[in-house]
Amino acid sequence: MKRVLQHPPAPAHGRTYWRSLGEYAKTPDFEEWLHREFPAGAAEWEQDPLSRRNFLRLMGASLALAGLGLGGCRRPEAHLVPFTQSPEWLISGKTMSFATAQPRRRGAVPLLATTFDGRPIKMEGNPLHPFSEGKSDNHAQASILDLYDPARRRHLTFQGKKADTSQLEAEIKRVRAEASASSGATLAVLADETCSPTRERLRAELLRQFPQATWAVYEPLAPGYDAEASTAAFGPGTQFRANLANASTILAADCDFLGSEDGDLADTRNFAAGRRIRKPGDKVNRLYVAEPRFSITGSMADHRLRLRAGEVGAFLLELGRQIRSLRGNAELNAALSSAPDLPLPHGVDAAWIRECAADLVTNAGRSVVLVGRRQPASVQALALAINSALGAIGNTLVVQPAFSAPAASIRDLAARLQAGAIKSLIILGGNPIYNAPTDLSFENLLASVPSSLHLSAQPNATSAKSSWFVPGTHYLEAWGDALSGDGSYVSIQPTIQPLWAGESQLEFLCRLTGQAKPIGPALIKETFAARTNQSGQKLEDAWNNLVREGFVPASSTSAAKSVNGAAVAALAAKIGDTAEASAGALEGVFVSSPAMDDGRYLNNGWLQEWPDPMTKLTWDNAILLSSTTAKALGLRNEIVKGILVADVVRATLAGQTVEAPVVIAPGHVDFAVSLPLGYGQDELGPVAKGSGFNAYRLRRTDADYLAPGLKLEKTGRTRQLAVTQEHQVMEGRDLVREAAVAEFNEDPGWVKKVGMDAHIPPNQSFYKSPKLDGEYQWAMVIDLSTCTGCNACVTACTAENNIPIVGKDQVMKGREMHWIRVDRYYTGEPEEPEAVAQPVACMQCENAPCETVCPVNATVHNEEGLNVMAYNRCIGTRYCANNCPYKVRRFNFFDYNQRALDKLYWGPVAPKGTEETIKLQKNPNVTVRMRGVMEKCTFCVQRIEEAKISARVKARDSANIRIPAGSLKTACQQACPADAIVFGDLKNEKEQVGQLRNLPQNYSLLEYLNVRPRLTYLGRVRNPNPAMPGARTSYLPSHGHGESHGSENGRGKTEGGH
Amino acid sequence: MRADNPASHAAFAKAAEYIDRKPLVSNRRSLSWITDHVCRIVEQPAPLWWWIATVCFGAVAALTPAMLTYLVATGVGVWGLNVPVCWAWDITNFVFWIGIGHAGTLISAILFLTRQKWRTSINRSAEAMTIFAVICAGIFPAFHVGRIWFAWFLFPIPNANAIWQNFRSPLLWDVFAVSTYFTVSLIFWYLGLIPDLASLRDRATTRLRQMIYGILAMGWRGSNRQWTHYEKAYLILAGISTPLVLSVHSVVSFDFATSIVPGWHTTIFPPYFVAGAIFGGFAMVLTLLIPFRELYGLHDLVTDKHIDNMCKITLLTGSLVGYAYSMEFFIAWYSGNPYEIYAFMNRAFGPYWWAYWAMITCNVIAPQLFWFKYCRQNPWVVLALVMFPNTGMWFERFVIIVTSIHRDFLPSSWGYFSPTWVDITLFIGTIGLFVFLFLLFVRFLPMITIFEVKNVTPEADPHHHGEHDSQGHASHPAPAKAHA
Repeated sequence: MKRVLQHPPAPAHGRTYWRSLGEYAKTPDFEEWLHREFPAGAAEWEQDPLSRRNFLRLMGASLALAGLGLGGCRRPEAHLVPFTQSPEWLISGKTMSFATAQPRRRGAVPLLATTFDGRPIKMEGNPLHPFSEGKSDNHAQASILDLYDPARRRHLTFQGKKADTSQLEAEIKRVRAEASASSGATLAVLADETCSPTRERLRAELLRQFPQATWAVYEPLAPGYDAEASTAAFGPGTQFRANLANASTILAADCDFLGSEDGDLADTRNFAAGRRIRKPGDKVNRLYVAEPRFSITGSMADHRLRLRAGEVGAFLLELGRQIRSLRGNAELNAALSSAPDLPLPHGVDAAWIRECAADLVTNAGRSVVLVGRRQPASVQALALAINSALGAIGNTLVVQPAFSAPAASIRDLAARLQAGAIKSLIILGGNPIYNAPTDLSFENLLASVPSSLHLSAQPNATSAKSSWFVPGTHYLEAWGDALSGDGSYVSIQPTIQPLWAGESQLEFLCRLTGQAKPIGPALIKETFAARTNQSGQKLEDAWNNLVREGFVPASSTSAAKSVNGAAVAALAAKIGDTAEASAGALEGVFVSSPAMDDGRYLNNGWLQEWPDPMTKLTWDNAILLSSTTAKALGLRNEIVKGILVADVVRATLAGQTVEAPVVIAPGHVDFAVSLPLGYGQDELGPVAKGSGFNAYRLRRTDADYLAPGLKLEKTGRTRQLAVTQEHQVMEGRDLVREAAVAEFNEDPGWVKKVGMDAHIPPNQSFYKSPKLDGEYQWAMVIDLSTCTGCNACVTACTAENNIPIVGKDQVMKGREMHWIRVDRYYTGEPEEPEAVAQPVACMQCENAPCETVCPVNATVHNEEGLNVMAYNRCIGTRYCANNCPYKVRRFNFFDYNQRALDKLYWGPVAPKGTEETIKLQKNPNVTVRMRGVMEKCTFCVQRIEEAKISARVKARDSANIRIPAGSLKTACQQACPADAIVFGDLKNEKEQVGQLRNLPQNYSLLEYLNVRPRLTYLGRVRNPNPAMPGARTSYLPSHGHGESHGSENGRGKTEGGH
Repeated sequence: MRADNPASHAAFAKAAEYIDRKPLVSNRRSLSWITDHVCRIVEQPAPLWWWIATVCFGAVAALTPAMLTYLVATGVGVWGLNVPVCWAWDITNFVFWIGIGHAGTLISAILFLTRQKWRTSINRSAEAMTIFAVICAGIFPAFHVGRIWFAWFLFPIPNANAIWQNFRSPLLWDVFAVSTYFTVSLIFWYLGLIPDLASLRDRATTRLRQMIYGILAMGWRGSNRQWTHYEKAYLILAGISTPLVLSVHSVVSFDFATSIVPGWHTTIFPPYFVAGAIFGGFAMVLTLLIPFRELYGLHDLVTDKHIDNMCKITLLTGSLVGYAYSMEFFIAWYSGNPYEIYAFMNRAFGPYWWAYWAMITCNVIAPQLFWFKYCRQNPWVVLALVMFPNTGMWFERFVIIVTSIHRDFLPSSWGYFSPTWVDITLFIGTIGLFVFLFLLFVRFLPMITIFEVKNVTPEADPHHHGEHDSQGHASHPAPAKAHA
């Protein structure tokens, strides 16, 4: 399709101008000439949709929309051209931020999109929004890469062939006509969940026009059981969420609220805030976790119980009984008396539950019991009853209005499709062919519909099977709105003209309701006006405020403080007994994979290479099981030459079979396996191809979370898996230092008495240290007490610093390029391990061992204490990496930015260059490194320099040129939802970093080497409950300091004097 | 003084056989025999085996440029390196080859200064071996860098950026040490060749040979004045080379010793590396000389005594490295540093245990057989036995480099190295190159120092009395010539 510049139509009543007599006469020759006016350019457009010309156009377009309408409303013109005159306020080369939000199924994440010359390059949390406070997570960070995904399709297709917009227009007309005739009975819409009030409005409009139409919502990871429980407990139109801001005792039962459970951003931040300990006597919250697989929430637990997901009901019953005996209320009594009297799950210590209950009750009002949202509604209802007994409702558990009205489920839709009533099916987003329950055989149903249409930003399996595919927009390309987790209204603001000429769900729905395609934010503005009940200038002001700040705070939260005891009891009565699991009939649990969520990110290279926080697995998913289960089934994992070689099993559930590798996950509950969803979609694109297995193939409507009776059979084959960390234990080294709160209170300087630090004589240096007399002295402190190991920092760093992905093969070779990594070690007993996380980036050693060995002075120290890399000077001897004790240096073994990952070994034979769109994402302030060059964390030196320049510009003639404290953040710090990373200037007393560095619990990794790192750690403090059976209350070495440490390091005898 | 009793005369002669030193040229070969015999190798048409061997090794040598082209065109990633193991076969091969290069200069310089006359018949080929080994060695550090087109940054060339090298980096010292060593060794070797090149020139029968050897001989006429200058220059170069023998491998060892990596950070490294280099170097001299002695019938010049001496040096240096191995373990334990202790335990019992024990077997155990005279005297047993140090010394470098860095401080970053086909092929290529160059050398240059060997014949002794050797004893069983 030839793209023709669309000149604005002349106003109908104005004078008509013509350029020549030819135009006046509208001769075909003139038309031809008009189209061929720039033949070279026209040819370029045909072949390369992102040529320089086109890019300039897009760039100009986004600048134009950034510039007008205050804070970046899109200019209402339908055509966009580059600036011929630059706006006065625009400084080329300076980034600009626009408030927007990433829609998620449980509320959008409020974000700021950083754009550079009109192209978004980085996402940050919106600092004004109380829910995120400037924080973000791996998905928000990586979502920008999806925007530039070259696999996104550029064209409308009908039955697999390129189609014209007019054809689609005709189709919409046809669908509408057909629906009108049946008052909508022939029309069905299957949508994903975006929490968008405008979409709700359009949906209402559509249903008004076609009352019989089916509106179904399908989210594979949000089956709505929590909504069912909420409806029972608090009435229809409600939903609940945790509010951990004041929570002091938390029990998470199969609830990974710090990780894959939705809404984790605020939860992580609040949890971390309650976890922060600075001086003796500080209050620290306590976390109990009962879960099947080791999640990052489990790794933060003070007490962790391995519990099958199917046993959560029985576990909560016992907990409820214990709580009732201490602090019962009517609702809990009702729920417990109606629920079946299930015995305590096998192997669970009643004392554990008793003590946990006692602790929850002691802290009633500030304690909460969280249950995974995919647990059955009956279990969640019981948990709500327990929470009401604990006084949690309204305090640590908040009730708010539901984000969207109830909709039909995919089961309902399937039934109607089965009946043959539906003639036209519109699928908005999602990928039901891939992820619908297998018993619905959605593929056949879809094939049976005469007309189906899929609108999606990324073409996927469903697109291929639908008769129509409409390229959708990424959230950064179109206007939208949403509710964020706390119920506040957020605007989704575009930052770039749609790269592939897609259209948004809202625009499409608008057309489906018979309206014209909206121009700019008109549609959203309408919703906003209706929500705010404002008009005129007031509305304009409010709107501008919304666009500028990105949100309007939640207007009302439900004041519900109590639960409907009878309804909850009725629901709790349905708590089912779970059969015992055994090696022959395992309990399968479908879990979301931390990287891929439900599979929507599978073609995202950053997330593919993003190591799973617990298993450190990249580019694959695997069935997770415990070592006991593995032993019983004769399954093995082996590290062979640095590669995890995993046995491949055939997993069978109710006749469905998939083959998948198994990974033995320490801390997993026995005779249950976790089946991470989201992988196995080769059709998504070249990145997704070949990664993982599709666990959805086992998933059924009646077993969408728990799948008892799963069988695993050894196939005899193995699969090589790429893990970024092969060794899981610390080998008795004092790397992550832990203490119990009591130990910390007794001696805040305990970190210095752990391991070798207790014995080393004062360090002396052979070399003269470089002069550190700069204006600033940069340092970073990472608080291990609050770091959950979520790995958001890894993605943030990847996005900020143009870090390439290297592919599975290279990760297996140990060549991943991440500048910051999160080391995860298991400690304690192998059967009941604990886990600790330690982010490691370049330590910027004052006495850097890498610097002395570089023969060409390519890595040197600057006067501000940074170890700087001069890429242009680096010849790649790799000596620095060998001599780096922290192994944070990364080497470009290949031209990762220039060659396709599957052709790295082809050398010059492989086509050179990278996708144009991928280039658009690159941060222009960071060099894109070529092969043969060493690289590493720079403490985001580009941000430091930019902040310095800004401070100087602001200072003008005054002497106050210092960067204000707290205004400069590294990418990892900015993303960290737990606020565990603190960076700043040691010379500025107002900066937090200096204060933290002076705390007694601050320590350097490998202190004895005398490299004097600028990145230090605050020792991790756990808060165990001493009353707990088998509690590990002491984390420090049991012997006093005066005793010999001989067995530890052989120095005991010589160290007797101190 | 001498008894007339024939019986006692025979007994005395028999006893003398044990007491006396064996002559360095057997069978009382004359001066002209020596010249003829050595020059013949160069002058006569090459034997068939030479053609076969040269073509074969030449083909193998061609793998070197092929692999290097692929390496440079594609990236260092074609090797098996990764992040904890940033150096593996590249530096292993470098240290291996540079170590082999040590014997030549040791023989020509240190043995010269210490007046070890037995060096004369082996020094030329040992020096040639040194040159070729250093060429092979130099390939690796040059090409192991990520961006070889900027390797000139390593040299202190004045440039507009006014950036200097980092003189604290042992890698830079390496550049200087190896290039100095190569230059001095080459000059030393060439200087020693000049009188023999003149002999070849004088004996040349074709114009081309006359021209080439004439140019190479640089106008040598063998005048007294030239000999005086020659002797002085040779002595000076020997003096310069002697510290280089010790310094080069010491500096190479600094690459490791000055780092902070457990297993590398060891003060014993310089002497231990030098001992190891001499050990490996002598093994390689034996590996080359024994077959060539056989092929060219040089038994009278490279006698069993030479081989015996070299075996003894191999035994000595092999024991020295064995001592060093055990001392490393002792110090690791004695230091009380858990990281050091782990590094050494990991060497012996970690995933690369096989490399460690291969090293111990080859370097410490196998050479102990040289305590037995039989093993030193039988050239084929010697040839078999020196294959152990040849292999073992490669393993030693592999063990030091790879096992230390594959598991250092943070267990999270531990990794594993396995070589790729490019690693292996390139190493085989350099072996091919080494042998190929040596084959060319024996074909076109006198592989034995003719004029120096003549120096150690009885005839060269001013007190030579025909049937007496230089010590004045009648120990030769050969028929007595009439006194002049």
